[in-house]
Amino acid sequence: MKKTNRILTILIFIFLYIPMAVLIVASFNTGKDITNFEGFTLNQYAELFRDEDLLRLLGNSVLIALLATGVSVAFGTVAAVGIHSLKPKMRKVVMSLTNIPMTNPDIVTGVSLSLLFVFVGSGMLGQRESLNFWTLLIAHVTFGLPYVILNVMPKLQQMDGSLTDAAMDLGCTPVQAFFKVILYEILPGIVSGGIMTFTMSLDDFVISYFVTGSQFVTLPVEIYTYTKKPIQNKVYAMFTLLFLLIFVLMVAMNLLQLRAGRKRETMRSVSRGGIIFRRCVAGLVAACLLVGCGFLIFGNKQERITLNVKNWGMNMADGSDGTLDIVKAFEEKYPHIKVNMSYYESNEALYSQLSNGGITVDVIIPSDYMIDRMIQSNMLLELNFDNIENFKYVDEQFKNPAYDPENKYSVPYTWGTVGILYNTKHVDEADLTGWDLLWNEDYAGKILMIDNSRDAFGIAQYLLGYSINTTDKAELDACAQKLAEQKPLVQQYVMDQIYTIMENEEAWIAPYYAGDCMLMMEENEDLAFFLPQEQGFNLFTDAMCIPTCCQEKEAAELFINFLTDPEISGANMDYICYGSPISAAREHMEDYLATSEIVYPSEEVLAKGTAYAYLSEEITRYVEGLYQEATKLNAFG
Amino acid sequence: MRKNKSVLLSTPYILWMLVFTLIPLGVVGYYALTDPESGAFTLSNLKDLGMYLPVLGQSVLYSLASALICLILGYPVAYYIAHRGPVAQKILYMLVMLPMCMSFLLRTLAWVGLLQDTGIINNLLEAIGIGRLQLIRTPGAVILGMVYNYLPYMILPLYATLVKLDHRLIEAAEDLGCTPAKTFMKVILPLSVPGIFSGITMVFVPAVSTFYISQKLGGTDTVLIGDLIERLFKQGDNPNLGAALSLVLMALVFVCTGIMNRFGGDEEGGVIV
Amino acid sequence: MSKELIRLRDLTMEFDGERILDSINLYINDHEFLTLLGPSGCGKTTTLRIIGGFLNPTSGTVTFDGEIINDVPPYKRQINTVFQRYALFPHLNVFDNIAFGLRVAKLPAEEVTERVNRMLEVVSLKGYGHRHINSLSGGQQQRVAIARALVNEPKVLLLDEPLGALDLRLRKDMQIELKRIQQAMGITFVYVTHDQEEALSMSDTVVVMDKGRIQQIGKPEDIYNEPKNAFVADFIGESNILDGVMLSDYKVRFFGRTFQCVDKGFAPNESVDVVIRPEDIDIVAPEEGHLVGVVTSVTFKGLNYDIIVEFKGFKWLIQTTDYHGEGATIGIRLNPEDIHIMHKSEYSGMFGDYSSYSAEYDELTEDAEDEEE
Repeated sequence: MKKTNRILTILIFIFLYIPMAVLIVASFNTGKDITNFEGFTLNQYAELFRDEDLLRLLGNSVLIALLATGVSVAFGTVAAVGIHSLKPKMRKVVMSLTNIPMTNPDIVTGVSLSLLFVFVGSGMLGQRESLNFWTLLIAHVTFGLPYVILNVMPKLQQMDGSLTDAAMDLGCTPVQAFFKVILYEILPGIVSGGIMTFTMSLDDFVISYFVTGSQFVTLPVEIYTYTKKPIQNKVYAMFTLLFLLIFVLMVAMNLLQLRAGRKRETMRSVSRGGIIFRRCVAGLVAACLLVGCGFLIFGNKQERITLNVKNWGMNMADGSDGTLDIVKAFEEKYPHIKVNMSYYESNEALYSQLSNGGITVDVIIPSDYMIDRMIQSNMLLELNFDNIENFKYVDEQFKNPAYDPENKYSVPYTWGTVGILYNTKHVDEADLTGWDLLWNEDYAGKILMIDNSRDAFGIAQYLLGYSINTTDKAELDACAQKLAEQKPLVQQYVMDQIYTIMENEEAWIAPYYAGDCMLMMEENEDLAFFLPQEQGFNLFTDAMCIPTCCQEKEAAELFINFLTDPEISGANMDYICYGSPISAAREHMEDYLATSEIVYPSEEVLAKGTAYAYLSEEITRYVEGLYQEATKLNAFG
Repeated sequence: MRKNKSVLLSTPYILWMLVFTLIPLGVVGYYALTDPESGAFTLSNLKDLGMYLPVLGQSVLYSLASALICLILGYPVAYYIAHRGPVAQKILYMLVMLPMCMSFLLRTLAWVGLLQDTGIINNLLEAIGIGRLQLIRTPGAVILGMVYNYLPYMILPLYATLVKLDHRLIEAAEDLGCTPAKTFMKVILPLSVPGIFSGITMVFVPAVSTFYISQKLGGTDTVLIGDLIERLFKQGDNPNLGAALSLVLMALVFVCTGIMNRFGGDEEGGVIV
Repeated sequence: MSKELIRLRDLTMEFDGERILDSINLYINDHEFLTLLGPSGCGKTTTLRIIGGFLNPTSGTVTFDGEIINDVPPYKRQINTVFQRYALFPHLNVFDNIAFGLRVAKLPAEEVTERVNRMLEVVSLKGYGHRHINSLSGGQQQRVAIARALVNEPKVLLLDEPLGALDLRLRKDMQIELKRIQQAMGITFVYVTHDQEEALSMSDTVVVMDKGRIQQIGKPEDIYNEPKNAFVADFIGESNILDGVMLSDYKVRFFGRTFQCVDKGFAPNESVDVVIRPEDIDIVAPEEGHLVGVVTSVTFKGLNYDIIVEFKGFKWLIQTTDYHGEGATIGIRLNPEDIHIMHKSEYSGMFGDYSSYSAEYDELTEDAEDEEE
């Protein structure tokens, strides 16, 4: 019995630690992929310390965790003292209130807080950016408080109540009694509550994910949302360092406790050490608050304007692989502006984020039909074309498009096609018959499907021969039926994760945007692109717009103008591999791209492409509902 | 009485908790009862919920399964730790705590690397000639992810209960003629019931509402209620339906924890550590 | 007589509608050693806490040196307390504990050191200043608690069952020690205990309380010898309490016999309680006794034997130095001064039968009283 217990315990610990070992090993890997150890390197650690963005995100996480801990500890301790002196009945009520965030699932807490902040902030106070640093802090304090209270309360209950009386008897006011006596008694509870709050806050993803705005993002949220690039090894390096740090801290704490425990047993002479340790902890809490506040005041004193750009992932040259770093170039040209980039996965997600409200965004780059929808929903501002001189370089065929007939709201950014990316090692050329490849049972489990309603329905519509802009509900139902039929064959519904999965050959077939496909083909030579010309395909335009929640319209127009410069546009396309709506830009692109059939298909091929149009709010929602049912629920059988 | 003044210290806290826990739940209720387009009162979001019952059932099934597995795996471990010397206890306790402090997202991603078709385990299996198996994107993988992530939440409360157990009770039982197995069944197990229920609650609640685990380790058939809520808020642009689903999830969790508390004996402040 | 220092007027205390104190009227003189004595739940600790300022009475006033101090918080009263379980601060050593009050009052460091050292001497703990509280024995902790209170030179020291947690030997020593300190410092002690022996041996004045009311106030001898009612009689020492009828002055009838006594002033034929202390009963040969009974049990107590003797179905406790075996038939004689007569009260009939009553109180049941506060 004892022996089996021991073996089982060892096995469980192996089980708990293997994934962490995998991550730690990956941090020393020269290769990109977690599954293949190609060689040993310490480069990732050097990279980590060079990556300002990653360090800033880590800094954000630490800052929020420190502040949330400081506030929760101070606020929670005071509250615990108050609750302790409540009458038992009332105390019970308050404790069940305290238990709500503890028992409520994180996702419900996150959702409810974000709805509250948006409801009150945007709806009632008319705030532009109701989801911000402060809401994040409030959320973290809200889930941190119960940890402090639930740790401090038992200490208060264990404490000899007459200690307070004794202190007052000896001349202390109640406040003095707290600081001179009670505090020392409940300190262990405060410390463990604080530590729990800190670790919970530092690693919190779910709640932060719902209440965070675009300006202040923490590391876990970024790790979740920015999955387009395979998670870089330097993140694993960071994980390894954090692991070591926490390990050392825990060991140190335990050693201190053991020593303190032993001292208490022998207790030959008074141990000043214990008191000094406690003072240190109290000092640390105070320091956390001070540093945090200082950081805030300091941080807010930026003289530069912040321009919030919301873009698709991997949709702007960032300086890697020898390309131009667009943002850096822009900031060099306009030193008073700082660009803050955040990302969305699909047009629908962007629309959802904007209409949920609570965030400030200055520039967005949605696709054609979504621009039309946003115009109809009054979500876009008219552009001042005096500030966008470079608009003159835009090709005539891209001016006054169907989605923005008077060209008041948008400046085109890229255009491209949607086709199928496939792995030549595993997919037989003979099966490249059209969109039906995605329904080919031979590849069951190896097919990825694009995870947004419009593109998914579009594919079904091309396959079934309907118009991609049909509003016939019977036809739409048939499309949903078709998608439901496909579900058993589909490995995953993905957007940005497609990169990792296709590159490491976890899946072989996926419909996606041509430019992104080009990027993946550069990473894995076995990937190829197939455009089902016979059945038709989507031809899209992404254009830059300014949403109504914009706060820096002039800077936003400067940015749009900058991106419309032929030279910049060309350099940008070198990285993102899409077609530029500016002919002049083509001259600045690398030859292999400028002449690529995938980037710039021939006129003849282009003629077979069709563009999505905005249908109506009712049809959009109808399609979205069908899509959910077909892909998430087993509603169609 | 003189203590009246310190009672006031709890007032800001009570207000804070009302404003940031109870009222938000009210707002969720408000959203659940309004139409996404017009903002008018409607019951249609609630009517649509019927369609989501299978997903809800699946979520409950998976999380109950993982809670049970956690119990079966966690009990011996907690028992083992609770019967070590004080130093060993501290070290083992720390080793259980440590994973909880590390990034939940990255640790789950590591499982993707382990389980996927081209992953570490399958590469190994292939190398030793067994051939690749379908590990990831199965219900088993989702349950594995839940067990992995939430096992410490089971071990810690169990350990807390078992370590408090008076050793003399075991001796008394043996003195009265119980075999070790009988002692376990008749004394130790009944006395650790509060720990068992609190552990089950602490595993069940995060498991039933997770979306990251099922998104990463699950397939197209292992959609959980958390996935739906996340999607409706973040992509589907239907926060109202999402709010209705959140309400259902919350009700489910409160009913379950209520039942657990009834059986487990409501211990005030029965939290780990 | 020395002057009056504290006066409690019509003190009443209620918790959640339950009356804990019922119009307490009491004055305490300067330099007096006054003890509040009673079983747990009698309200003695509540009274003490009201004097200390930790509780506000529901009604009534507390006067200190002629001023009403109901609204003066504890930290402004010239009163210090020695708490039941000492309430020493575990994070401070002996010296710092004693210095606590002086430092709060912001006295200069030299004065603090000097006064604390002097106090350590008073309580015989010289050289213990750097010891940690938890390394001290119970008696030493007790002394620290006393020193910590006394170093502030209060006018009144309140002691709440200060010896309750000590073993018997230590308790005896500390009783003498406390009395010595009180006399040396010349300050007023208000002492709470449920131990009658402690109360009788140390106090100038004993206040016997029960059910939130004062039962009797008096010198220890008076309380013992002239209990006012059956409760006091039973609580202070041990007593045989019998029903009797006062025939006339100095004549009382019980057990079917008429006895001479020293009490008077009762109505003719008034029903009364007759109290006879077990040590006052003389055992004689059966034929010489006023009453004749059979010994039903014998317990050796060291100094004496406690024997239970049955008279016509009633059991008496008798303390005697001579051994009488179980089953022996003995006679007893009662002298007039050994028979105490008192009016019937609510306590009548509650005590007296030794087969069912035990005078022992669990020391820690006093906790129940604390919880309510």
